[in-house]
Amino acid sequence: MPLGTTARLPLVSSGEGNSEMHGPRLLWRYNQPAIRNYAVAVVLTAVALGIARWLDVHLESAPVSLFLCAVMLSAWLGGVGPGLLAAALCAAAFSYYFVSPIFSLAVDSKEIPRFVMFLLASVLVGSLSVTQRRAMQALRKAEAALRETQAALAHVTRVMTMGELAASIAHEVNQPLAGVVINGNACLRWLAGESPNLPEAREAAQRIIRDGTRASEIISRIRALAKKTSALNERVDLNEAIREVLTLCQGEAVKHDVALRERLPGDLPSVRGDRVLIQQVVLNLVMNGIEAMRDPQDHARELVIGARAEAERVRVTVRDSGIGLDPQAMERIFDALYTTKPGGLGMGLSISRTIVENHGGRLSVVAHDGPGTTFEFTLPAYA
Amino acid sequence: MPTPKAAVFVVDDDTSVREALKGLLRSAGFAVETFASAQEFLACPPSDLPGCLVLDVGLPGLSGLDLQQRMAEINREIPIVFITGQGDVPTSVRAMKAGAVEFLTKPFGERDLLDAIRQAIDRDQVARRQRAELAELRRRYTSLTPREREVLAWVVSGLLNKQIAGEMGTREITVKVHRGQVMRKMRAASLADLVRMAERLRIRHAEP
Repeated sequence: MPLGTTARLPLVSSGEGNSEMHGPRLLWRYNQPAIRNYAVAVVLTAVALGIARWLDVHLESAPVSLFLCAVMLSAWLGGVGPGLLAAALCAAAFSYYFVSPIFSLAVDSKEIPRFVMFLLASVLVGSLSVTQRRAMQALRKAEAALRETQAALAHVTRVMTMGELAASIAHEVNQPLAGVVINGNACLRWLAGESPNLPEAREAAQRIIRDGTRASEIISRIRALAKKTSALNERVDLNEAIREVLTLCQGEAVKHDVALRERLPGDLPSVRGDRVLIQQVVLNLVMNGIEAMRDPQDHARELVIGARAEAERVRVTVRDSGIGLDPQAMERIFDALYTTKPGGLGMGLSISRTIVENHGGRLSVVAHDGPGTTFEFTLPAYA
Repeated sequence: MPTPKAAVFVVDDDTSVREALKGLLRSAGFAVETFASAQEFLACPPSDLPGCLVLDVGLPGLSGLDLQQRMAEINREIPIVFITGQGDVPTSVRAMKAGAVEFLTKPFGERDLLDAIRQAIDRDQVARRQRAELAELRRRYTSLTPREREVLAWVVSGLLNKQIAGEMGTREITVKVHRGQVMRKMRAASLADLVRMAERLRIRHAEP
Protein backbone atom coordinates (compact mmCIF):
# COMPACT_ATOMS: atom_id res chain seq x y z
CA MET A 1 0.00 0.00 0.00
CA PRO A 2 1.27 3.49 -0.66
CA LEU A 3 2.64 4.58 2.65
CA GLY A 4 1.72 7.90 4.09
CA THR A 5 -1.15 8.48 1.69
CA THR A 6 -3.86 6.38 3.23
CA ALA A 7 -5.31 7.05 6.60
CA ARG A 8 -7.88 4.26 6.23
CA LEU A 9 -6.46 0.81 6.27
CA PRO A 10 -7.80 -2.55 5.23
CA LEU A 11 -10.10 -4.13 7.75
CA VAL A 12 -8.42 -7.47 7.70
CA SER A 13 -6.10 -8.74 10.31
CA SER A 14 -3.81 -10.66 7.99
CA GLY A 15 -1.66 -8.37 5.91
CA GLU A 16 -1.58 -10.80 2.98
CA GLY A 17 -3.52 -10.18 -0.14
CA ASN A 18 -4.03 -6.46 0.27
CA SER A 19 -1.03 -5.11 -1.47
CA GLU A 20 -2.30 -6.09 -4.91
CA MET A 21 -5.29 -3.91 -4.34
CA HIS A 22 -3.59 -1.04 -2.63
CA GLY A 23 -0.38 -0.56 -4.59
CA PRO A 24 2.81 -2.39 -5.54
CA ARG A 25 4.26 -4.86 -3.08
CA LEU A 26 7.03 -3.32 -0.99
CA LEU A 27 10.58 -4.03 -2.03
CA TRP A 28 11.75 -4.60 1.48
CA ARG A 29 10.54 -7.33 3.73
CA TYR A 30 10.90 -7.35 7.44
CA ASN A 31 11.41 -10.19 9.87
CA GLN A 32 13.36 -12.32 7.44
CA PRO A 33 15.30 -15.10 9.15
CA ALA A 34 18.55 -13.66 10.50
CA ILE A 35 20.78 -15.99 8.48
CA ARG A 36 19.21 -14.71 5.29
CA ASN A 37 19.89 -11.11 6.27
CA TYR A 38 23.58 -11.92 6.83
CA ALA A 39 23.75 -13.76 3.52
CA VAL A 40 22.20 -10.76 1.82
CA ALA A 41 24.89 -8.56 3.40
CA VAL A 42 27.60 -10.85 2.03
CA VAL A 43 26.04 -10.97 -1.42
CA LEU A 44 25.56 -7.21 -1.57
CA THR A 45 29.17 -6.65 -0.57
CA ALA A 46 30.30 -9.15 -3.20
CA VAL A 47 28.21 -7.44 -5.87
CA ALA A 48 29.55 -4.03 -4.87
CA LEU A 49 33.06 -5.40 -4.98
CA GLY A 50 32.49 -7.05 -8.36
CA ILE A 51 31.18 -3.87 -9.93
CA ALA A 52 33.87 -1.73 -8.34
CA ARG A 53 36.60 -4.08 -9.54
CA TRP A 54 35.20 -4.20 -13.03
CA LEU A 55 35.03 -0.41 -13.19
CA ASP A 56 38.51 -0.19 -11.67
CA VAL A 57 40.01 -2.52 -14.28
CA HIS A 58 38.15 -1.19 -17.32
CA LEU A 59 37.63 2.47 -16.54
CA GLU A 60 40.48 3.03 -14.10
CA SER A 61 38.18 4.68 -11.59
CA ALA A 62 37.05 2.98 -8.41
CA PRO A 63 33.67 4.22 -7.16
CA VAL A 64 34.04 3.23 -3.51
CA SER A 65 30.64 4.69 -2.76
CA LEU A 66 29.30 1.39 -4.09
CA PHE A 67 30.50 -0.16 -0.84
CA LEU A 68 28.59 2.44 1.09
CA CYS A 69 25.49 1.48 -0.86
CA ALA A 70 26.05 -2.15 0.10
CA VAL A 71 26.35 -1.21 3.77
CA MET A 72 23.29 0.98 3.60
CA LEU A 73 21.15 -1.68 1.97
CA SER A 74 22.40 -4.42 4.29
CA ALA A 75 21.58 -2.34 7.36
CA TRP A 76 18.23 -1.37 5.86
CA LEU A 77 17.24 -4.91 5.04
CA GLY A 78 18.84 -6.75 7.95
CA GLY A 79 19.39 -4.31 10.79
CA VAL A 80 22.47 -3.76 12.96
CA GLY A 81 24.18 -7.17 12.62
CA PRO A 82 24.14 -7.51 8.84
CA GLY A 83 24.99 -3.81 8.59
CA LEU A 84 28.10 -4.28 10.69
CA LEU A 85 29.02 -7.43 8.79
CA ALA A 86 28.69 -5.61 5.48
CA ALA A 87 30.75 -2.69 6.86
CA ALA A 88 33.51 -5.07 7.99
CA LEU A 89 33.51 -6.98 4.70
CA CYS A 90 33.51 -3.78 2.70
CA ALA A 91 36.35 -2.37 4.80
CA ALA A 92 38.32 -5.54 4.17
CA ALA A 93 37.57 -5.52 0.45
CA PHE A 94 38.33 -1.81 0.22
CA SER A 95 41.62 -2.23 1.98
CA TYR A 96 42.50 -5.35 -0.06
CA TYR A 97 41.72 -4.06 -3.54
CA PHE A 98 41.69 -0.29 -3.46
CA VAL A 99 44.08 0.86 -0.78
CA SER A 100 47.81 0.55 -1.37
CA PRO A 101 49.42 -1.81 -0.99
CA ILE A 102 46.95 -3.49 -3.35
CA PHE A 103 46.11 -7.15 -2.73
CA SER A 104 46.92 -6.83 0.93
CA LEU A 105 44.86 -6.06 3.97
CA ALA A 106 47.60 -3.77 5.20
CA VAL A 107 47.13 -0.02 4.83
CA ASP A 108 49.87 2.46 3.91
CA SER A 109 50.32 5.24 6.41
CA LYS A 110 49.47 7.90 3.78
CA GLU A 111 46.26 6.06 2.96
CA ILE A 112 45.12 5.91 6.59
CA PRO A 113 42.97 9.10 6.46
CA ARG A 114 41.16 7.84 3.34
CA PHE A 115 40.59 4.48 4.95
CA VAL A 116 39.35 6.03 8.19
CA MET A 117 37.03 8.32 6.22
CA PHE A 118 35.68 5.27 4.49
CA LEU A 119 35.11 3.50 7.81
CA LEU A 120 33.39 6.53 9.32
CA ALA A 121 31.22 7.00 6.27
CA SER A 122 30.14 3.38 6.23
CA VAL A 123 29.32 3.39 9.96
CA LEU A 124 27.36 6.63 9.55
CA VAL A 125 25.44 5.36 6.53
CA GLY A 126 24.79 2.05 8.29
CA SER A 127 23.48 3.64 11.47
CA LEU A 128 21.25 6.06 9.55
CA SER A 129 19.91 3.12 7.68
CA VAL A 130 19.22 1.20 10.89
CA THR A 131 17.42 4.18 12.42
CA GLN A 132 15.29 4.51 9.33
CA ARG A 133 14.57 0.80 9.43
CA ARG A 134 13.42 0.99 13.05
CA ALA A 135 11.13 3.91 12.29
CA MET A 136 9.61 1.96 9.42
CA GLN A 137 9.12 -1.06 11.64
CA ALA A 138 7.39 1.00 14.29
CA LEU A 139 5.12 2.58 11.67
CA ARG A 140 4.28 -0.79 10.27
CA LYS A 141 3.48 -2.18 13.68
CA ALA A 142 1.20 0.77 14.35
CA GLU A 143 -0.52 0.19 11.03
CA ALA A 144 -1.03 -3.47 11.83
CA ALA A 145 -2.45 -2.57 15.23
CA LEU A 146 -4.77 -0.02 13.64
CA ARG A 147 -5.91 -2.60 11.11
CA GLU A 148 -6.65 -5.07 13.83
CA THR A 149 -8.53 -2.50 15.86
CA GLN A 150 -10.62 -1.53 12.87
CA ALA A 151 -11.34 -5.17 12.07
CA ALA A 152 -12.41 -5.73 15.66
CA LEU A 153 -14.57 -2.62 15.60
CA ALA A 154 -16.23 -3.70 12.35
CA HIS A 155 -16.90 -7.08 13.89
CA VAL A 156 -18.35 -5.60 17.04
CA THR A 157 -20.66 -3.22 15.19
CA ARG A 158 -21.75 -6.05 12.90
CA VAL A 159 -22.59 -8.26 15.82
CA MET A 160 -24.37 -5.36 17.50
CA THR A 161 -26.49 -4.74 14.43
CA MET A 162 -27.34 -8.41 14.38
CA GLY A 163 -28.24 -8.10 18.04
CA GLU A 164 -30.80 -5.46 17.10
CA LEU A 165 -32.09 -7.90 14.51
CA ALA A 166 -32.18 -10.83 16.91
CA ALA A 167 -35.94 -10.89 17.41
CA SER A 168 -36.63 -10.68 13.70
CA ILE A 169 -34.05 -13.31 12.87
CA ALA A 170 -35.51 -15.61 15.52
CA HIS A 171 -38.87 -15.13 13.81
CA GLU A 172 -37.29 -15.97 10.47
CA VAL A 173 -35.95 -19.25 11.86
CA ASN A 174 -39.14 -19.94 13.75
CA GLN A 175 -41.28 -19.95 10.59
CA PRO A 176 -39.75 -23.02 8.95
CA LEU A 177 -39.55 -24.69 12.36
CA ALA A 178 -43.28 -24.13 12.81
CA GLY A 179 -43.65 -25.69 9.38
CA VAL A 180 -41.62 -28.71 10.47
CA VAL A 181 -43.79 -29.27 13.54
CA ILE A 182 -47.05 -28.90 11.64
CA ASN A 183 -45.87 -31.14 8.81
CA GLY A 184 -44.71 -33.74 11.34
CA ASN A 185 -48.18 -33.79 12.85
CA ALA A 186 -49.78 -34.04 9.43
CA CYS A 187 -47.43 -36.85 8.46
CA LEU A 188 -48.40 -38.86 11.55
CA ARG A 189 -52.07 -38.29 10.82
CA TRP A 190 -51.72 -39.54 7.26
CA LEU A 191 -49.92 -42.63 8.57
CA ALA A 192 -52.44 -43.38 11.32
CA GLY A 193 -55.59 -45.44 10.97
CA GLU A 194 -56.59 -48.51 9.04
CA SER A 195 -55.49 -47.35 5.62
CA PRO A 196 -52.57 -44.94 5.84
CA ASN A 197 -52.27 -42.42 3.03
CA LEU A 198 -48.65 -42.95 2.05
CA PRO A 199 -48.36 -40.45 -0.82
CA GLU A 200 -49.65 -37.65 1.42
CA ALA A 201 -47.38 -38.75 4.27
CA ARG A 202 -44.43 -38.74 1.88
CA GLU A 203 -45.22 -35.22 0.75
CA ALA A 204 -45.42 -34.04 4.34
CA ALA A 205 -42.04 -35.65 5.05
CA GLN A 206 -40.57 -33.91 2.02
CA ARG A 207 -41.86 -30.59 3.28
CA ILE A 208 -40.21 -31.33 6.63
CA ILE A 209 -36.88 -31.82 4.89
CA ARG A 210 -37.31 -28.64 2.85
CA ASP A 211 -38.23 -26.52 5.87
CA GLY A 212 -35.48 -27.98 8.02
CA THR A 213 -32.97 -27.16 5.29
CA ARG A 214 -34.35 -23.64 5.06
CA ALA A 215 -33.95 -23.10 8.80
CA SER A 216 -30.39 -24.33 8.75
CA GLU A 217 -29.58 -22.10 5.76
CA ILE A 218 -30.75 -19.06 7.66
CA ILE A 219 -28.63 -20.08 10.62
CA SER A 220 -25.53 -20.58 8.50
CA ARG A 221 -26.06 -17.11 6.99
CA ILE A 222 -26.18 -15.62 10.45
CA ARG A 223 -23.10 -17.55 11.43
CA ALA A 224 -21.27 -16.31 8.36
CA LEU A 225 -22.14 -12.72 9.25
CA ALA A 226 -21.04 -13.19 12.86
CA LYS A 227 -17.70 -14.60 11.71
CA LYS A 228 -14.61 -12.45 12.10
CA THR A 229 -13.78 -11.87 8.45
CA SER A 230 -12.17 -13.37 5.38
CA ALA A 231 -10.33 -11.74 2.50
CA LEU A 232 -10.81 -8.51 0.57
CA ASN A 233 -10.13 -10.20 -2.71
CA GLU A 234 -12.76 -12.80 -3.25
CA ARG A 235 -15.29 -12.72 -6.03
CA VAL A 236 -18.65 -11.75 -4.55
CA ASP A 237 -22.01 -12.29 -6.22
CA LEU A 238 -23.54 -9.02 -5.17
CA ASN A 239 -27.15 -9.99 -5.96
CA GLU A 240 -26.91 -13.07 -3.80
CA ALA A 241 -25.11 -11.22 -0.99
CA ILE A 242 -27.77 -8.48 -0.98
CA ARG A 243 -30.66 -10.96 -1.09
CA GLU A 244 -29.26 -12.83 1.91
CA VAL A 245 -29.20 -9.61 3.89
CA LEU A 246 -32.75 -8.78 2.79
CA THR A 247 -33.93 -12.20 3.98
CA LEU A 248 -32.50 -11.48 7.40
CA CYS A 249 -34.12 -8.05 7.44
CA GLN A 250 -37.51 -9.21 6.18
CA GLY A 251 -38.93 -9.81 9.65
CA GLU A 252 -37.71 -6.43 10.86
CA ALA A 253 -39.32 -4.78 7.83
CA VAL A 254 -42.67 -6.47 8.43
CA LYS A 255 -42.50 -5.47 12.07
CA HIS A 256 -42.16 -1.83 11.05
CA ASP A 257 -44.62 -2.19 8.20
CA VAL A 258 -41.96 -1.46 5.61
CA ALA A 259 -42.04 -2.97 2.13
CA LEU A 260 -38.58 -4.13 1.02
CA ARG A 261 -38.16 -3.90 -2.74
CA GLU A 262 -35.17 -5.06 -4.70
CA ARG A 263 -34.21 -3.81 -8.13
CA LEU A 264 -31.28 -6.07 -8.88
CA PRO A 265 -30.50 -6.75 -12.53
CA GLY A 266 -29.86 -10.43 -13.22
CA ASP A 267 -26.70 -9.72 -15.21
CA LEU A 268 -25.03 -7.68 -12.48
CA PRO A 269 -21.27 -8.31 -12.61
CA SER A 270 -19.59 -9.79 -9.56
CA VAL A 271 -17.55 -7.47 -7.39
CA ARG A 272 -14.20 -7.83 -5.72
CA GLY A 273 -14.05 -7.76 -1.97
CA ASP A 274 -14.94 -9.32 1.33
CA ARG A 275 -18.43 -10.77 1.19
CA VAL A 276 -19.12 -10.40 4.91
CA LEU A 277 -17.96 -6.79 5.03
CA ILE A 278 -20.02 -5.89 1.96
CA GLN A 279 -23.04 -7.50 3.58
CA GLN A 280 -22.31 -5.51 6.71
CA VAL A 281 -22.54 -2.28 4.70
CA VAL A 282 -25.82 -3.37 3.08
CA LEU A 283 -27.23 -4.54 6.42
CA ASN A 284 -26.31 -1.25 8.01
CA LEU A 285 -27.91 0.85 5.27
CA VAL A 286 -31.09 -1.28 5.22
CA MET A 287 -31.44 -1.13 9.01
CA ASN A 288 -30.88 2.64 8.95
CA GLY A 289 -33.55 2.96 6.26
CA ILE A 290 -36.09 0.94 8.23
CA GLU A 291 -35.22 2.95 11.32
CA ALA A 292 -35.78 6.22 9.43
CA MET A 293 -39.37 5.16 8.73
CA ARG A 294 -40.31 4.26 12.29
CA ASP A 295 -42.38 7.41 12.84
CA PRO A 296 -45.92 7.46 11.47
CA GLN A 297 -46.02 8.91 7.99
CA ASP A 298 -48.69 9.43 5.40
CA HIS A 299 -46.81 8.04 2.40
CA ALA A 300 -45.90 4.41 1.80
CA ARG A 301 -43.05 2.99 3.85
CA GLU A 302 -40.80 1.60 1.22
CA LEU A 303 -37.16 0.66 1.11
CA VAL A 304 -35.76 0.13 -2.37
CA ILE A 305 -32.38 -1.46 -2.87
CA GLY A 306 -31.06 -1.31 -6.39
CA ALA A 307 -27.82 -2.00 -8.20
CA ARG A 308 -26.43 -1.21 -11.63
CA ALA A 309 -23.25 -1.89 -13.48
CA GLU A 310 -21.02 1.02 -14.46
CA ALA A 311 -17.65 1.03 -16.17
CA GLU A 312 -15.50 -1.34 -14.10
CA ARG A 313 -17.62 -0.91 -11.01
CA VAL A 314 -21.05 -1.57 -9.56
CA ARG A 315 -23.23 1.05 -7.88
CA VAL A 316 -25.63 0.03 -5.14
CA THR A 317 -28.38 2.39 -3.96
CA VAL A 318 -30.52 2.11 -0.84
CA ARG A 319 -33.49 4.51 -0.79
CA ASP A 320 -35.96 4.89 2.05
CA SER A 321 -39.07 7.04 2.27
CA GLY A 322 -38.50 8.09 5.86
CA ILE A 323 -37.90 11.33 7.68
CA GLY A 324 -34.87 12.31 5.61
CA LEU A 325 -31.82 14.20 6.78
CA ASP A 326 -31.35 17.88 7.43
CA PRO A 327 -28.31 19.47 5.73
CA GLN A 328 -26.48 19.76 9.02
CA ALA A 329 -26.83 16.05 9.70
CA MET A 330 -25.92 15.26 6.10
CA GLU A 331 -22.44 16.69 6.66
CA ARG A 332 -21.79 14.76 9.81
CA ILE A 333 -23.46 11.38 9.40
CA PHE A 334 -20.24 9.67 8.38
CA ASP A 335 -18.37 10.95 11.43
CA ALA A 336 -17.65 8.40 14.10
CA LEU A 337 -19.87 8.68 17.18
CA TYR A 338 -22.36 10.95 15.39
CA THR A 339 -25.89 9.61 15.55
CA THR A 340 -29.45 10.85 15.02
CA LYS A 341 -30.99 7.76 16.57
CA PRO A 342 -31.91 7.48 20.21
CA GLY A 343 -29.69 4.76 21.60
CA GLY A 344 -27.52 4.72 18.48
CA LEU A 345 -23.79 4.33 18.80
CA GLY A 346 -22.86 6.38 15.75
CA MET A 347 -20.45 3.80 14.38
CA GLY A 348 -22.45 2.16 11.61
CA LEU A 349 -21.99 4.64 8.78
CA SER A 350 -18.46 5.52 9.78
CA ILE A 351 -17.47 1.85 9.65
CA SER A 352 -19.44 1.34 6.45
CA ARG A 353 -17.62 4.17 4.73
CA THR A 354 -14.25 2.82 5.85
CA ILE A 355 -15.19 -0.63 4.54
CA VAL A 356 -16.28 0.72 1.16
CA GLU A 357 -13.19 2.90 0.78
CA ASN A 358 -10.92 0.01 1.65
CA HIS A 359 -12.56 -1.84 -1.19
CA GLY A 360 -11.63 1.04 -3.48
CA GLY A 361 -15.16 2.42 -3.64
CA ARG A 362 -17.13 5.34 -2.26
CA LEU A 363 -20.12 5.56 0.07
CA SER A 364 -22.17 8.71 -0.09
CA VAL A 365 -25.56 10.14 0.73
CA VAL A 366 -27.51 11.66 -2.12
CA ALA A 367 -29.88 14.55 -1.69
CA HIS A 368 -33.15 14.13 -3.53
CA ASP A 369 -36.60 15.62 -3.83
CA GLY A 370 -39.43 14.15 -1.84
CA PRO A 371 -39.23 12.32 1.44
CA GLY A 372 -36.51 9.96 2.50
CA THR A 373 -32.82 9.51 1.98
CA THR A 374 -30.72 7.66 -0.55
CA PHE A 375 -27.37 6.14 0.22
CA GLU A 376 -25.20 4.77 -2.53
CA PHE A 377 -21.87 3.05 -2.73
CA THR A 378 -19.64 1.71 -5.43
CA LEU A 379 -17.47 -1.38 -5.51
CA PRO A 380 -14.91 -2.45 -8.10
CA ALA A 381 -16.24 -5.06 -10.53
CA TYR A 382 -14.44 -8.36 -10.52
CA ALA A 383 -12.56 -8.24 -13.82
CA MET B 1 -62.13 -39.66 4.37
CA PRO B 2 -65.51 -38.00 4.86
CA THR B 3 -66.43 -35.25 2.43
CA PRO B 4 -65.43 -31.93 4.00
CA LYS B 5 -68.30 -30.21 5.74
CA ALA B 6 -66.23 -27.18 6.61
CA ALA B 7 -63.78 -24.95 4.83
CA VAL B 8 -60.68 -23.48 6.44
CA PHE B 9 -59.00 -20.46 4.91
CA VAL B 10 -55.34 -19.95 5.71
CA VAL B 11 -53.66 -16.57 5.24
CA ASP B 12 -49.92 -16.57 5.91
CA ASP B 13 -47.13 -14.93 3.94
CA ASP B 14 -44.70 -17.71 4.76
CA THR B 15 -44.74 -20.57 2.27
CA SER B 16 -43.53 -23.17 4.77
CA VAL B 17 -46.25 -22.40 7.27
CA ARG B 18 -48.95 -22.06 4.61
CA GLU B 19 -48.23 -25.38 2.97
CA ALA B 20 -47.76 -27.15 6.27
CA LEU B 21 -51.11 -25.92 7.55
CA LYS B 22 -52.77 -26.97 4.33
CA GLY B 23 -51.36 -30.48 4.73
CA LEU B 24 -52.33 -30.78 8.39
CA LEU B 25 -55.85 -29.45 7.94
CA ARG B 26 -56.45 -31.68 4.94
CA SER B 27 -55.32 -34.66 7.00
CA ALA B 28 -57.89 -33.61 9.59
CA GLY B 29 -60.57 -33.68 6.92
CA PHE B 30 -61.10 -30.00 6.17
CA ALA B 31 -61.31 -28.36 2.80
CA VAL B 32 -58.44 -25.86 2.80
CA GLU B 33 -57.72 -22.77 0.78
CA THR B 34 -54.51 -20.80 1.26
CA PHE B 35 -53.66 -17.17 0.60
CA ALA B 36 -50.33 -15.36 0.83
CA SER B 37 -51.81 -11.97 1.69
CA ALA B 38 -54.84 -10.27 3.18
CA GLN B 39 -55.66 -8.67 -0.17
CA GLU B 40 -55.69 -12.06 -1.87
CA PHE B 41 -58.16 -13.35 0.69
CA LEU B 42 -60.43 -10.33 0.38
CA ALA B 43 -60.52 -10.80 -3.37
CA CYS B 44 -61.91 -14.31 -2.97
CA PRO B 45 -65.72 -14.67 -2.72
CA PRO B 46 -67.14 -15.95 0.59
CA SER B 47 -67.75 -19.68 0.86
CA ASP B 48 -71.11 -21.45 1.32
CA LEU B 49 -69.62 -23.98 3.72
CA PRO B 50 -69.29 -23.14 7.39
CA GLY B 51 -65.68 -22.43 8.12
CA CYS B 52 -63.05 -20.28 9.73
CA LEU B 53 -60.02 -18.20 8.96
CA VAL B 54 -56.54 -19.10 10.19
CA LEU B 55 -54.78 -15.76 10.02
CA ASP B 56 -51.17 -14.77 10.50
CA VAL B 57 -50.79 -11.54 12.47
CA GLY B 58 -47.59 -10.29 10.84
CA LEU B 59 -48.63 -10.05 7.22
CA PRO B 60 -46.84 -7.54 4.99
CA GLY B 61 -49.08 -4.73 3.79
CA LEU B 62 -52.47 -5.27 5.37
CA SER B 63 -51.72 -7.00 8.70
CA GLY B 64 -53.85 -9.73 10.25
CA LEU B 65 -55.40 -7.29 12.69
CA ASP B 66 -56.13 -4.85 9.85
CA LEU B 67 -57.84 -7.62 7.94
CA GLN B 68 -59.95 -8.50 10.99
CA GLN B 69 -61.06 -4.87 11.22
CA ARG B 70 -61.70 -4.60 7.48
CA MET B 71 -63.88 -7.72 7.54
CA ALA B 72 -65.93 -6.30 10.39
CA GLU B 73 -66.40 -3.10 8.38
CA ILE B 74 -67.65 -4.94 5.31
CA ASN B 75 -69.80 -7.32 7.43
CA ARG B 76 -67.96 -10.38 6.26
CA GLU B 77 -68.41 -12.61 9.25
CA ILE B 78 -66.02 -15.49 9.72
CA PRO B 79 -64.48 -16.65 13.00
CA ILE B 80 -60.73 -16.04 13.14
CA VAL B 81 -57.97 -18.13 14.69
CA PHE B 82 -54.84 -15.99 14.85
CA ILE B 83 -51.39 -17.46 14.54
CA THR B 84 -48.25 -15.47 15.14
CA GLY B 85 -44.51 -15.87 15.26
CA GLN B 86 -43.98 -12.97 17.63
CA GLY B 87 -46.84 -13.07 20.08
CA ASP B 88 -47.09 -10.10 22.38
CA VAL B 89 -49.79 -9.44 24.93
CA PRO B 90 -51.21 -6.15 23.56
CA THR B 91 -51.67 -7.65 20.10
CA SER B 92 -53.37 -10.76 21.41
CA VAL B 93 -55.64 -8.69 23.65
CA ARG B 94 -56.63 -6.50 20.72
CA ALA B 95 -57.33 -9.54 18.55
CA MET B 96 -59.39 -11.32 21.20
CA LYS B 97 -61.37 -8.16 22.02
CA ALA B 98 -62.22 -7.84 18.36
CA GLY B 99 -63.75 -11.30 18.51
CA ALA B 100 -60.99 -13.75 17.64
CA VAL B 101 -61.56 -17.37 18.67
CA GLU B 102 -57.98 -18.10 19.62
CA PHE B 103 -54.50 -16.60 19.47
CA LEU B 104 -51.75 -19.18 18.93
CA THR B 105 -48.00 -18.61 18.96
CA LYS B 106 -45.85 -20.51 16.47
CA PRO B 107 -44.86 -23.25 16.75
CA PHE B 108 -48.13 -24.46 18.25
CA GLY B 109 -49.36 -27.97 19.01
CA GLU B 110 -51.71 -29.55 16.52
CA ARG B 111 -54.34 -30.16 19.21
CA ASP B 112 -54.45 -26.49 20.15
CA LEU B 113 -54.88 -25.54 16.53
CA LEU B 114 -57.45 -28.20 15.65
CA ASP B 115 -59.45 -27.51 18.83
CA ALA B 116 -59.48 -23.81 18.04
CA ILE B 117 -60.51 -24.49 14.45
CA ARG B 118 -63.35 -26.82 15.50
CA GLN B 119 -64.53 -24.27 18.01
CA ALA B 120 -64.39 -21.58 15.35
CA ILE B 121 -66.33 -23.72 12.90
CA ASP B 122 -68.97 -24.48 15.56
CA ARG B 123 -69.24 -20.78 16.16
CA ASP B 124 -69.62 -20.17 12.45
CA GLN B 125 -72.33 -22.83 12.21
CA VAL B 126 -74.26 -21.22 15.04
CA ALA B 127 -73.79 -17.81 13.49
CA ARG B 128 -74.90 -19.07 10.09
CA ARG B 129 -78.01 -20.66 11.63
CA GLN B 130 -78.81 -17.44 13.44
CA ARG B 131 -78.28 -15.43 10.30
CA ALA B 132 -80.56 -17.80 8.38
CA GLU B 133 -83.23 -17.51 11.08
CA LEU B 134 -82.95 -13.77 11.08
CA ALA B 135 -83.23 -13.70 7.30
CA GLU B 136 -86.38 -15.85 7.57
CA LEU B 137 -87.84 -13.52 10.19
CA ARG B 138 -87.08 -10.54 7.99
CA ARG B 139 -88.77 -12.29 5.08
CA ARG B 140 -91.86 -12.89 7.25
CA TYR B 141 -91.80 -9.31 8.49
CA THR B 142 -91.66 -7.90 4.97
CA SER B 143 -94.78 -9.93 4.13
CA LEU B 144 -96.74 -7.82 6.66
CA THR B 145 -98.79 -4.87 5.43
CA PRO B 146 -97.88 -1.42 6.84
CA ARG B 147 -101.01 -1.53 9.00
CA GLU B 148 -100.08 -4.98 10.39
CA ARG B 149 -96.55 -3.75 11.16
CA GLU B 150 -98.05 -0.85 13.11
CA VAL B 151 -100.22 -3.29 15.08
CA LEU B 152 -97.16 -5.50 15.71
CA ALA B 153 -95.24 -2.58 17.16
CA TRP B 154 -98.12 -1.68 19.50
CA VAL B 155 -98.67 -5.32 20.51
CA VAL B 156 -95.06 -5.92 21.51
CA SER B 157 -95.15 -2.67 23.46
CA GLY B 158 -97.65 -4.40 25.74
CA LEU B 159 -100.83 -2.50 24.75
CA LEU B 160 -104.23 -4.17 24.84
CA ASN B 161 -106.33 -4.41 21.68
CA LYS B 162 -108.64 -1.70 23.00
CA GLN B 163 -105.74 0.67 23.67
CA ILE B 164 -104.25 -0.06 20.22
CA ALA B 165 -107.60 0.71 18.62
CA GLY B 166 -107.59 4.00 20.50
CA GLU B 167 -104.04 4.84 19.37
CA MET B 168 -104.75 3.91 15.77
CA GLY B 169 -108.21 5.49 15.68
CA THR B 170 -109.94 2.30 14.61
CA ARG B 171 -112.28 -0.31 16.00
CA GLU B 172 -111.11 -3.05 18.37
CA ILE B 173 -112.39 -5.79 16.03
CA THR B 174 -110.18 -4.49 13.20
CA VAL B 175 -107.15 -4.58 15.50
CA LYS B 176 -108.04 -8.14 16.46
CA VAL B 177 -108.11 -9.19 12.79
CA HIS B 178 -104.76 -7.50 12.08
CA ARG B 179 -103.26 -9.09 15.16
CA GLY B 180 -104.40 -12.56 14.02
CA GLN B 181 -102.77 -11.93 10.62
CA VAL B 182 -99.53 -10.82 12.29
CA MET B 183 -99.41 -13.97 14.46
CA ARG B 184 -100.08 -16.16 11.41
CA LYS B 185 -97.67 -14.46 9.02
CA MET B 186 -94.88 -14.29 11.61
CA ARG B 187 -95.65 -17.89 12.60
CA ALA B 188 -95.60 -16.88 16.24
CA ALA B 189 -96.95 -19.51 18.64
CA SER B 190 -97.61 -17.05 21.45
CA LEU B 191 -97.32 -13.41 22.36
CA ALA B 192 -94.02 -14.13 24.10
CA ASP B 193 -92.74 -15.71 20.90
CA LEU B 194 -93.76 -12.64 18.92
CA VAL B 195 -91.99 -10.35 21.40
CA ARG B 196 -88.78 -12.40 21.02
CA MET B 197 -89.02 -12.15 17.24
CA ALA B 198 -89.55 -8.41 17.42
CA GLU B 199 -86.48 -8.13 19.64
CA ARG B 200 -84.40 -10.05 17.15
CA LEU B 201 -85.69 -7.84 14.36
CA ARG B 202 -84.92 -4.84 16.55
CA ILE B 203 -88.43 -3.44 16.09
CA ARG B 204 -88.66 -0.41 18.29
CA HIS B 205 -91.50 -0.39 20.71
CA ALA B 206 -94.06 2.22 19.80
CA GLU B 207 -94.49 4.94 22.41
CA PRO B 208 -98.09 5.62 23.29
